[in-house]
Amino acid sequence: MSDIHYRSAVEFPFLSAPDGSISLADHSEYTKVLVRADRKTAAGKHLKVSYGRSRSRDGILICGSRPDEWTLLSEAHRSTEVAESVPRDGFVSVVDITHARTMFRISGSCAVDALAKVCNVDLADHMTPDGAVFSGSIAKVGCDVVRNDQEAGRSYLIACERSFGKYLFAVVADACAEFGIAIPSGMSTH
Amino acid sequence: MIVVPCPSCGPRNSSDLRNAGEVVPRPDPDTATLTEWRSYLYLRENPASWVTETWYCRNGCRRYFTIERNTATNEIRESDTT
Amino acid sequence: MSSHRILSRPGELIDRSTRLSFTWNGRPYTGYKGDTIASALAAEGVGVFSRGLKYHRRRGILTADHWDPNLAVQVGDEPNVRAGSRRLVEGMQVTAQNVWPCLRFDIGTATRLVGRFLSAGFYYKTFMRPRFLWNHVYQRVLRKFAPGGQVHWQTKSHDNYDKRYAHPDVLVAGGGPAGIAAALAAAKAGASVMLVEQEPELGGHLRWGGPDDLSVLDGLLEAVQSCSGIEILCDSVVTGRYDHNWVAIMQRSHPVALERLIKARVGSLVVAPGLIERPYVFAGNDTPGVMLSGAVKRLINLWAVSPGHRAVVFSANLEGDAVLADLESAGVEVVAVLDARAGDDVVRVKGKGRVKTILTGDGQTLEADLLVTAVGWTSPTSLLNMAGDRPVYDQVAARYFPQSLPDNVLATGGITGDGSITELVAHGRETGTLAASRAMRIRHDRMSATARSPKPSFDRPAAVSDERVPLRRVPHPECYQSSTHGLVDFSEDISSKDLIQAAAEGFDSIELMKRYTTVTMGPSQGKLETVNAAAVLAEARQTAIVDVGTTVWRPPFAPVSLGALAGQSFEPTRRSAIQNWHEANGATNMLAGQWVRPDHYGNPMAEVANVRNNVGLIDVTPLGKLDLRGPDVSRLLDLVYVNKWQNLEIGRVRYGVMVAEDGVVSDDGVTGRLAEEHYLMTTTSSGAGAVWEMLEDWLQTYRPEWEVHVTPVTGGLTSINVAGPRSRELLKRLVDDVDLSATAFPYFSVRKGSVAGVQDCIIWRIGFTGELSYEIHAHSGYALHIWEALLGAGSDLGVAPFGVEAQRILRLEKGHYIVGQDTDGLSKAPTASLGGLVKLDKLDTIGLPELRAAFQRSDLPVLVGLQTEDPSIVPEEACQIVSSDGNEILGRITSSRMSPTLGRSVCLAQVYSSLAAAGTLLTVKLVDGRRVKATVQEQHAHVDPEGERQRV
Repeated sequence: MSDIHYRSAVEFPFLSAPDGSISLADHSEYTKVLVRADRKTAAGKHLKVSYGRSRSRDGILICGSRPDEWTLLSEAHRSTEVAESVPRDGFVSVVDITHARTMFRISGSCAVDALAKVCNVDLADHMTPDGAVFSGSIAKVGCDVVRNDQEAGRSYLIACERSFGKYLFAVVADACAEFGIAIPSGMSTH
Repeated sequence: MIVVPCPSCGPRNSSDLRNAGEVVPRPDPDTATLTEWRSYLYLRENPASWVTETWYCRNGCRRYFTIERNTATNEIRESDTT
Repeated sequence: MSSHRILSRPGELIDRSTRLSFTWNGRPYTGYKGDTIASALAAEGVGVFSRGLKYHRRRGILTADHWDPNLAVQVGDEPNVRAGSRRLVEGMQVTAQNVWPCLRFDIGTATRLVGRFLSAGFYYKTFMRPRFLWNHVYQRVLRKFAPGGQVHWQTKSHDNYDKRYAHPDVLVAGGGPAGIAAALAAAKAGASVMLVEQEPELGGHLRWGGPDDLSVLDGLLEAVQSCSGIEILCDSVVTGRYDHNWVAIMQRSHPVALERLIKARVGSLVVAPGLIERPYVFAGNDTPGVMLSGAVKRLINLWAVSPGHRAVVFSANLEGDAVLADLESAGVEVVAVLDARAGDDVVRVKGKGRVKTILTGDGQTLEADLLVTAVGWTSPTSLLNMAGDRPVYDQVAARYFPQSLPDNVLATGGITGDGSITELVAHGRETGTLAASRAMRIRHDRMSATARSPKPSFDRPAAVSDERVPLRRVPHPECYQSSTHGLVDFSEDISSKDLIQAAAEGFDSIELMKRYTTVTMGPSQGKLETVNAAAVLAEARQTAIVDVGTTVWRPPFAPVSLGALAGQSFEPTRRSAIQNWHEANGATNMLAGQWVRPDHYGNPMAEVANVRNNVGLIDVTPLGKLDLRGPDVSRLLDLVYVNKWQNLEIGRVRYGVMVAEDGVVSDDGVTGRLAEEHYLMTTTSSGAGAVWEMLEDWLQTYRPEWEVHVTPVTGGLTSINVAGPRSRELLKRLVDDVDLSATAFPYFSVRKGSVAGVQDCIIWRIGFTGELSYEIHAHSGYALHIWEALLGAGSDLGVAPFGVEAQRILRLEKGHYIVGQDTDGLSKAPTASLGGLVKLDKLDTIGLPELRAAFQRSDLPVLVGLQTEDPSIVPEEACQIVSSDGNEILGRITSSRMSPTLGRSVCLAQVYSSLAAAGTLLTVKLVDGRRVKATVQEQHAHVDPEGERQRV
């Protein structure tokens, strides 16, 4: 099935300001696996990360996305591998949500200023440090967010329900326009 | 726009949650009379003072929890997960 | 140089190297960059800027700032611009408002002839009868006198508004000396600070002060500009403070947005608005040339404009005394200085269009063209009131002071008391420090309580009590009104005489008087007139001001554009993975909730025929889909559906209906069992979110011991319905690992397999359209491939897409009801004809008592299939079914379409059960009034009532 091309809801894979102060990159293809389990099960102990935090291990970014719920993120086409890495003793549900989410990365020194226009969550360093995980509304769409700083600097991975992807990417790009991102013709917020 | 203290997430704007109303115990559906049932459906104390109510953290952790809120002053106390 | 411009002033805002051209009422004028519209005109000798609202008397500069009630002008297509604060821009076209035909010869002055008929509340007494003159006469007359500028139909929409969120530890409202000092101290203590100032520059009253003031200002500006922890917003206003320090800030002069609304959750709010100078009430107090001391200082010191030639100064305080030095340096001759503290008074000003003579309290007549008054200060306590404070009037100091504030709101500067610049700055500094420590305590608590935040690296600051050295309350004479009547509300043309008349008529509480006379309700919103109104009322009632009280200060503190409040409108839309294909292939879209979907591809009737005869494809991704896992799923299904679910086998699908606790039908869908502890539930597309929340509610709050995990997969699984007699044939070409034969894959079964090479697809057989059909749920990232493969593999079978409209017709032909279309907010289970489905012997179902009660009744409406006698008539949906004499409503048409399969119209309708017998003739009243007959059918389905076609 690897010859069947994965299609994202986002049509513009990469947008950036010329000086690199802000960029948007589509990562909808990333493997995303949802694990629901009580913290005290083997799965809960294996994943360990508490609600609101994240850590990387073996190429998997483990996000404490809700109490007793984890979202495991990884490179594309690793769903089976990632799912199988989760112990199943007790009541554990492992659901592949790779296709149920549009996901993109917003990076750069202006990322916080752009997000502050569409999201009411306090993104200051002391409230939302590198590794922080939270859910909130961005431009009226419920999103899961993890701050995942890269070598280049401040960076956030934003995931929304897949069907909102085209709209959300366009609205966030519009918020970034003030900081130098050129909006491609054909992208509209409606 | 009040701040509601979600026991899992922390303090959040009320727009991130849904007020699910005054806590009213549910009668046994198999044995309740219609009057008891409709009292549960429609009648509320609605005081201008402290009330125990349920909130749903819709944009956040998606947990239901109860708090006590003073409807006259919007003071909130003692979060308590149901 | 223009006639009234004087030589360079040390603190002047104007840039004399940049001249700007503009027009005023069509005539060309020039000014400097840094001028306001009013200062530029005043520099050129313009003294009259507007006419009063009712009596149309000429008006000139009163306060020369944002609150000046006489300076509302039209700039281009923008009405109600405040010329006292709006900075001049090259090319501005400025015109006077509320005048006809022009400012100089305004016919509106004729109203003074009928002045006695225009006193307070005149519109309650005049323009009443005869009533037939309302539309054509009174309305037209009143419109001519309506205040305000012009908004044209074709006004270009200034759509560059924006919004932003902020979370400062400390927000300082007011950039005068105390405010700046507070911001600096708070930043030094480690707080994140936002400093908001209404004027385009920081500094407050220091800007038009003497050399000492200017030097302190320089020091403060240098410090604040080099402080990185302070975000400075000039030309911006804190417009309101709401619960839990939710604060609205209107930011202007933003490089990109015309206006930006900042919604801030603030730790500590510091309110440092300074004081607003009050006018004096006496006869002729609205004559051009009567100015407040602050106006004179601003004109001279900020814009180097001389306010007149010969001046009389009437002062009750030190600030008023200080204006003499400015007048002298501007070359204005001071004819007399009247001291209110010594008992002097101003009784009357005479002059038509400009001050000419001034009558004093002791009978002197002075000749002058400028009267400067300095009779006292009003505390703009709005933000404090919004925080729950009820400021108290102090008779000795003659103004209101803050009384009790919550811990997270602090006042500083002139609003709390009087003092030297050093004392104001010191008070500001102490306030900033206190605000920061309280804010850091709040920050500590927020960090500790928030899941994603690290534990604070600093200790929790102890609660700090307010030990600031308070500013003094300097005694000030209560100097509100002379022995004559004058204007109290300049915006609304309300005089003290009107207020006394209102009180005499019985409207003697401040709230009633306000509404009856409209005092404080105009553009100035009480800033200049509230306290004078209270003083006049107190006098009329022979009581103290403190007993009269004031009206309530409400947000916004300053005017805000509706555009800024609306800002960007976010309207999320949802699209399936195939939506781009639909749009590229002739689909006409429709909006179903948030979903953009194809309504049809050009010919819905042909699409229906194609499904009945060949095979069609429809993208039904918006269908709500919930993945349910766990040992207790069947218990949950028993609870939320009206039927029973314990015996659903693996590989089988069942239809279920949900009712709410009040027994009203709320949702329906099919649920299939994929494995021992794994089910897939579908819901209506509009109900997907609500059903998910409802399931979580019952699981979390009612049965937390049940082990069930609910995961929504609505967008993750793209749903394609392949419908028609040739659907099996088509699907066989693309499915290898599932036996699609009728025996191996019966109706209402579910299987897992691959379609067109895409693995992990869920396929079930259901029958919404009434034809043999398979619904494929596939991973969205690969779904377009499946759609294109189906179309490619079946061209010889006549495969074609069909849209929502065709599906509506198909399901209606089969009599399948839609929740929310054929049922409504009152429809109980019997109305949806669910008799067989509902199991009343369960012990626990949502709405069980109401379900049982509903089935005891015989008076509920029921759903019936209906066909009009005339097959060509398609009754509009929702038209009424009436009794034959037309006097009673017996039901309504809920769904109605022309059926291409039958070549006649088909309907579903709700009628009382007594009329639901097959063959009953009913009367339908169409929208155009015609009454037509329709017959109740045997069953809901008009086509293939036995349901053979979907079971093959």
